[in-house]
Amino acid sequence: MKRFKTTKGLIGIVLLTLIALIAIVGPMVIPPDAATKMDMLARRSPPTWTHLLGTDQLGRDMLYRVILGARTSLEIAVSAVVMSVVLGLPLGLVSGYFGGWVDNVLMRLVDTLLAFPALLLALSISAVLGPNVQNTIIAIGVAFTPYLARIIRGEALKVAQMPYVEAARASGTTDGMIMMRHVLPNIMPAVIVQATISLAFAILAEAGLSFLGLGTQPPAASWGLMIQASRDQLDVAPWTALVPGAAVALTVLGLNMFGDVLRDILDPKSK
Amino acid sequence: MKRREFLLNSTAVMGGSILMGTFAGPALAQETPVSGGTLIWGHSETTQNLDMHQTGTASSGRVLQNIHSSIVTVDKDLNVIPGLAESFEVAPDGLTYTFKLRPNVKFHNGATMTSADVKYSFERCKDPATGAVNFEVFNNVAAIETPDDLTVVIKMSAVNAPFLSRLAENGAGVVMPVDSGPTQGTNPMGAGPFKFVSYEVGTVVKMARFDDYWEGPAYLDAVEAREITEPTTRLTGLRTGELHMINDIPLDRVGELEADATLQVKKWFPLNFDFINMNHTYEPFQNSKVRIAFDMIIDKEALMQGALWGQGATTASPSFPTSASYNKDLVQRKQDIEGAKALLAEAGYPEGSLNIVFKATTNYPYHIETAQILVEWFKMAGVNLTIEQLTWADWLSQCWVDKDYQMTMMNFFTLWEPDFLYYSVWNSEGAFNYRAVKDPKIDELTKQARITVDDVARADIYKQVQQQIFDEAHDVLLWFRNGTIGAQTKVMGLDTVVHPNGSNLNFHKVWLSA
Amino acid sequence: MTYVLNRLLSVILTLFLITLVTFAVTNILPGDVAMMIMGTQSNPEALEGLRQSLGLNDPLIMQYGNWVGGLLTGDWGTSLIFKKPIAELLAQKAVASAIIVVMSMTIALTLAVPLGVWAAVHRDRWQDTVSSSTSLLGVSLPDFFWGIVMILVFARWLGWFPSSGIVEPSEDFLGSLRYAFLPSLALGLGLMAHLTRMTRSTMTGILGQEFIRVARAKGLTERTVVWRYALANAIGPVITIAGLQIGYLFGSIIVMESLFGYTGMGWLTYQALLNRDLPLIQATVFVIAAVVMITNLLVDLLYVLIDPRVKLG
Repeated sequence: MKRFKTTKGLIGIVLLTLIALIAIVGPMVIPPDAATKMDMLARRSPPTWTHLLGTDQLGRDMLYRVILGARTSLEIAVSAVVMSVVLGLPLGLVSGYFGGWVDNVLMRLVDTLLAFPALLLALSISAVLGPNVQNTIIAIGVAFTPYLARIIRGEALKVAQMPYVEAARASGTTDGMIMMRHVLPNIMPAVIVQATISLAFAILAEAGLSFLGLGTQPPAASWGLMIQASRDQLDVAPWTALVPGAAVALTVLGLNMFGDVLRDILDPKSK
Repeated sequence: MKRREFLLNSTAVMGGSILMGTFAGPALAQETPVSGGTLIWGHSETTQNLDMHQTGTASSGRVLQNIHSSIVTVDKDLNVIPGLAESFEVAPDGLTYTFKLRPNVKFHNGATMTSADVKYSFERCKDPATGAVNFEVFNNVAAIETPDDLTVVIKMSAVNAPFLSRLAENGAGVVMPVDSGPTQGTNPMGAGPFKFVSYEVGTVVKMARFDDYWEGPAYLDAVEAREITEPTTRLTGLRTGELHMINDIPLDRVGELEADATLQVKKWFPLNFDFINMNHTYEPFQNSKVRIAFDMIIDKEALMQGALWGQGATTASPSFPTSASYNKDLVQRKQDIEGAKALLAEAGYPEGSLNIVFKATTNYPYHIETAQILVEWFKMAGVNLTIEQLTWADWLSQCWVDKDYQMTMMNFFTLWEPDFLYYSVWNSEGAFNYRAVKDPKIDELTKQARITVDDVARADIYKQVQQQIFDEAHDVLLWFRNGTIGAQTKVMGLDTVVHPNGSNLNFHKVWLSA
Repeated sequence: MTYVLNRLLSVILTLFLITLVTFAVTNILPGDVAMMIMGTQSNPEALEGLRQSLGLNDPLIMQYGNWVGGLLTGDWGTSLIFKKPIAELLAQKAVASAIIVVMSMTIALTLAVPLGVWAAVHRDRWQDTVSSSTSLLGVSLPDFFWGIVMILVFARWLGWFPSSGIVEPSEDFLGSLRYAFLPSLALGLGLMAHLTRMTRSTMTGILGQEFIRVARAKGLTERTVVWRYALANAIGPVITIAGLQIGYLFGSIIVMESLFGYTGMGWLTYQALLNRDLPLIQATVFVIAAVVMITNLLVDLLYVLIDPRVKLG
């Protein structure tokens, strides 16, 4: 059983390392215009020796696009999730730890954001700030914040009622100290799990946003943009969806395997 | 490609006997249309306001065209011909129009149309409070008189040569029963071949045959316009047989449907023209050398094959191709990257010095494809093009209203009335001059055309306008795009369905074979 | 009881906040409905006329006041693009979306809970991996991908379900379910992953607890221990997540409803947004927000009922 766990973690780490490597090394090895070079005589070509993973509707090589897209997609996903953690963690922590009116006020704010359709937010951002990668990160980051805040608050609420926290309080430790020393480490597993899941969602959210024109701007490649472009050709050129889809799926799988093991290591309850 | 065609032919031969059987039925029946049946049409867009006057979108117009009749209309050569008016007359001074109405034309409510209805409809359209899209058609109208039940006399305060043509166009010339205005939005009523039955927002518009239609009753009992905006879904509906017919086949799929013997594809030309726009207030584009160089970077034929999948034809003139004003002598500039580079350098923009943002709207997916192909060519010419995708609302407000862009592209339904086209789009005071084109020669010519009554002379002026647009490369004209309809083979009379203007559909003479 | 009252009060407060935010955001959006109606036929003069006749030129404060006043008195105004009373539009579309939301949640829970329990019971063995991979598949690709696959498989190839459209439940209830099924299935697959994970992790925690060991020691069958005792304790967090997903669902139905031509609330919201139909945007956003808030409220109350460890605040 222990061995299995190690293997699983190992697979996760290997997967993630590979993907990270591709994202970092890919752009150094592959000529930068490889992802945008069009071959109008080979549009929607299924995988062949010249195009190992086929081509898209403009005859662009899917292999190059998926490799060069990795960087864009991961950059967007990671930045957006970091942003939502940076915003959501203090919100949830303070709210869950203090409870009472602080909790009430903060959670009303979070509820307002939660109930507000993310699409409206995305549309407003793209209309007012303009469509580009930076604003996509802002849109996803802000949209994810209330989810994170709510989950973190739930965890913090539980931890805050634990005997050792009450003991620390009784011994006169300041609230700030307790939060940093006792509450934060104990909610980290939940934060990590949530963040891994959010990463996957963020990659997909980018696809959703390119539906509105926000997100990576063509002809640059990103997984989300590629999946979005496959929408109208799924039945005639399934590889246009499967290639970026597989990339996202493998990343998500890697993140989850890694996250599970990390959680087992970090979470004292499951020891 | 050759090989594929060959394969197709051999399949056809192999399945010949069966195919013959299916083909024979409709072929025989074609001579004798039968009445009955409900046509299920997969409509590509959402119908909005049902009030013909207040509707600017092609989507609603496409449906409402079947409910209304217009006072005049056009034949396939775009000559204005009688509609609800059996004859019309323009006084030599161009200030008085006299319409003789057809007797016994019935509205869907059973009432008989009279001159009072015409007066009511036109005055309603003219009234700014109505919020009519085409109200400016009546700008020069001083008075509408009705000497008797079947005569309408329109007095103009100034000559407006395109007036009749504008009436024949979508919307403005439609006749509604007196006082039906307030209910037109929810219960549209007119004198068209089909009566409005119901509309479930975003889902379906149902229409039923109007037996007293003045041109004779339609064959179909009813038409159901199901609104399916997703192209792939629409295509699937046609293939599964849930839909008899769809409009707007995705450009990349036309070939696939044409190869399918169980379906028929009806194409027409042109649906609209497309052009690349350069904002004339943006400094580099104030120099005609830059604009001409940009024109030279673009291989129009390759672009058309790439973005439209060959569903169109390149053109250097935006005039309706069969119209008298179409300038056949214009030939698009050939792609010449080196020449373009030289010209740009001459204009003071050496390689790498131009960074241009190209705004394209996601409302037209082929605009995005066009932009992506352009990026590659412009890169070769040392111009860095960046794409910004905009929703339709954002495109309208940024490019159309605020003129806040450097480069973009747009399409127009073929505005076949040349004054409407050239004055609105290229005159410095034109309502659709969102590129801020300011060319004294064009201004002069378009003004002169408005008061030129002789048709040949008028057409000649417009040819000069096209020449000037081309010489100065005010915009880069690309192509005319095909319109498409896909249908089951049992849908008959599809040749009659498309209005000569290329954008409206009329089901009066469509029928279903058993 | 005070807790419930407090929560109710806060819901009302939040709804008020939402009206403010919605109104502010919709008014930031550039462009207006007049421009959308006229499109590329518009010119400044015509636009001004249309704006006047649509009442778009009223001062903002007045517009806001009219709107909130209307909300309270039941006069929701008229959609500017569809020219129909908003209340009537909403009533019709809300039912359609309710069907999809309930159906997709049911599908997701039916698949996710057994999968999650199975994974927890066989934790760290192959079953666990199978379970997590299966559920991840659903979330690895966007909803619309599954939507298109459903249309291809179940409508085009098998012909079991209609490819698109909608039927009024009042006309033909079973028929309306048939039209709702494919979009719900596609949405359910997307929801499933999160719920499976949550079920697995809470179940794992609970299966390691003392009372489970006691129950096992008493000689209860493993099935009873897992499905009766453990699951009863794990369902709370799962329901919380399910409740939170309602908000996410209302985001997803926007794309899914358009894909399937299933014109419910999501579709209506999207049309309103795209066409800058401010009264309609405000109404749809308000209704969706209210539904999400009330669901969250119910979930919280339920959570308190189920999990006695959470003290009433």
